[in-house]
Amino acid sequence: MKLLRIPAGPGRFTAASALMGRAASPTIWLVAPLLMVMSVGFDLPLIVMLGQSFVDSAGLTLVHFREVFEASAYLKVLASTFRIALITMAVCVLVGYPLAYWLRRLPARWQLVALAMVVIPFWISILVRTYAWIVVLGNAGIVNRALLALGLIESPLSFLYNELGVIIGTVNVLLPFLVLPLFAAMLKIDEQLLRAAETLGASPWTVFWRIFFPLSVPALAAGAVLVFILTLGFFITPAVLGGGRVPMIANMLDLFVNQMPNWDLASAISAVLLVVTLALFAVYLRLTRVGEPA
Amino acid sequence: MMLSSLRQAPSTHFSAMPPVVQFNRIVLALCGIGVLIFLCLPVLIVVPMSFSSSTSLRFPPEGFSMRWYAQVFADPRWVRAMQTSLVLALLSSTLALVLGGLAAYGLTRGRFAGRMTIQSNFISPLIIPSVITAVALYFALAHIGMLGSFVGLLLGHTLLGVPYVVLIMSVAIRGFDRRIEQVAFTLGASWFTMARRVLIPNLLPSTAAAWIFAFVTSFDEVVITSFIAGTHETVPKRMFNDLVMQVNPSITAIATLLIGVSLALMALAAALRRTKLAAPPSAPEVRPPVQLLRQQP
Repeated sequence: MKLLRIPAGPGRFTAASALMGRAASPTIWLVAPLLMVMSVGFDLPLIVMLGQSFVDSAGLTLVHFREVFEASAYLKVLASTFRIALITMAVCVLVGYPLAYWLRRLPARWQLVALAMVVIPFWISILVRTYAWIVVLGNAGIVNRALLALGLIESPLSFLYNELGVIIGTVNVLLPFLVLPLFAAMLKIDEQLLRAAETLGASPWTVFWRIFFPLSVPALAAGAVLVFILTLGFFITPAVLGGGRVPMIANMLDLFVNQMPNWDLASAISAVLLVVTLALFAVYLRLTRVGEPA
Repeated sequence: MMLSSLRQAPSTHFSAMPPVVQFNRIVLALCGIGVLIFLCLPVLIVVPMSFSSSTSLRFPPEGFSMRWYAQVFADPRWVRAMQTSLVLALLSSTLALVLGGLAAYGLTRGRFAGRMTIQSNFISPLIIPSVITAVALYFALAHIGMLGSFVGLLLGHTLLGVPYVVLIMSVAIRGFDRRIEQVAFTLGASWFTMARRVLIPNLLPSTAAAWIFAFVTSFDEVVITSFIAGTHETVPKRMFNDLVMQVNPSITAIATLLIGVSLALMALAAALRRTKLAAPPSAPEVRPPVQLLRQQP
C-alpha cells in the first residue's frame, strides 16, 4: 500500500472513489455533532461575552472600554502584563537559542536524553512546576541558602512574590514552546550551505552570523511570538509566585468575575485580550509559513 | 512524537578546530546543560521532597517517610477530589475522542465548503487563552443557571480536549490509505461497519494517543475548573487553592502523584506512537508548534 499511492486530495479523486465516498460516508453528518457542541458550548458564550462588552442599560456603548483604558489601576495591570510578556520573551530567546543550537550538534544518543529533558517537563502540570519554585526560591530555599553559604549575599534575596519570581516561573514553563520548534527548524538547515561557506574561507563566526542565524530567524521569531501570546494569558504562575502582588490580566479577570463581580468590565478586558491574542496569532501563523520550504 | 522524528542529528565534526572554537563549544555546552537543569529543576526538587519526614519545606529533605502520602490518602477531601478528577478526565476525554474522531474523519475525507473554517474553530480552544474561555463559560453557565454543575464542568474539559483529538486524528486518517476503506464499502459494509472493523483497528495507536492527550489535559486543568466548578473539587483545583493560601508539605505528595500520572500516560502515548511509525509517510505533519501547544497556563 506504500508503493501504489494515488493522490487523494480534494478535486483529485477518481470517479469510483467519488461514488463510493459519497454514497457510503456521510461525511458532513460526522462533523455535525462536534460542530453543534462547539457552536453552543464555545462560540456562543464567547460571542455573548463580546457582545456584553459593547452594551449597557442604555444600548450600544464603548463606556466599558473607556473605563479599562482610563482608570490608571487597570492600565497599570495591562502595562505590567505586557512588560512581563516582553521580558519573558526576551529571556526565552536568549536562553533557548543557545540550548537549541547546542542540541543540534549533540551526538544522537545524548541528543535524545537532552530532548527528553526538554519534553518531559513540558508534559507535567504547570501548577506542579510553578509550585516547586516556592521551595527553590523561598527565603530558606536552596538558591538563597547556597548564596548565603558562599558568602555572596548577607541576607536572603526575595525572589518570590515579585515580578522576578513570576518571570522565572513563566520562563521555566514556556521555554519548551520556543526550544522545540526552533530545534526542529535548525535541523532542517542544510549543512551543505555551512560547509560551502567554510570552504570559501568564512570563519566559524561569519558562518554562524551570515548563514546559520538568518536561516533560523523565522523559527526564532515564531517561537518568541508564541511565548509572548501565552504569557499574556498566564493565570496560575502570577497567582502562585506573585502572591497577589504581581497582578496580570488573567488575575484581574479572576477578580472581576469571582471576587468583586463586574461582568461588563470583565467582558471588556476579555475582549481586549482576545483581540490582541488573535492578532499576534495571525503574525505567528505568518512567521511559521515563512519558515517552511515553499 | 518529536523524539523519533528528530533523531537524525547532523554529524559533521569539523576537523582541526582552532582553540577558540573549542572554547566556544565548551561555553555553549555549559549554557546548554545549565538551561536543561533549569528546566528540570522543579521536578527534581518536588519528587524527593514528597518523601521527606520533616514538616519543613527544606531541600534536601531530612529523612525518608511516606507520611505525606499517608496524610493525603487519609483526607477524605483529597480522596473525593481524586475521584472527581478521574471521572471528569475519563468522561471528557472519551467524549472529546468520540466527537473529535468523527469530526476529524468528516473533515479529512469530506469535500464540503468551509472545512478549514470549521477545523480552525475546533482547534481554537488551544489558542484562545483559557482564562477567556473560563470567563465566557462562567457567564454563559450563570445565565442558564448551570454554574457549578458537573455538566458545565464536563463541557469545559471536553472543549479543551477536542483540539488534540482533531489534530491527531486528522493526521492519522489522512495517512490511512483510502482505498482500503473503499474496498470495505464495495464489499457492502456500511460506514459504521467500515469504521469499526477497518478504520479503528488500523488507527488504534493514534486513537489511544489522542485519548491520552485529552485525558492528561483534563486531569491537569486548573483555570476553567476554578472558575466554573462551584463546589466540585478536582485535585489541581484544590492544590491551587491551597497554594494560594499557604504552603503545606502534603502538596509535594500530590504534586508527585500528578507528575507520575502525566509521565506514565505520556510514556504510553510515546510507545504507541513508535509502533505507528510503520504507517505511510504521506501524512503531512501537523506543524509542530500547534501540535505542541499544551493546555494553557
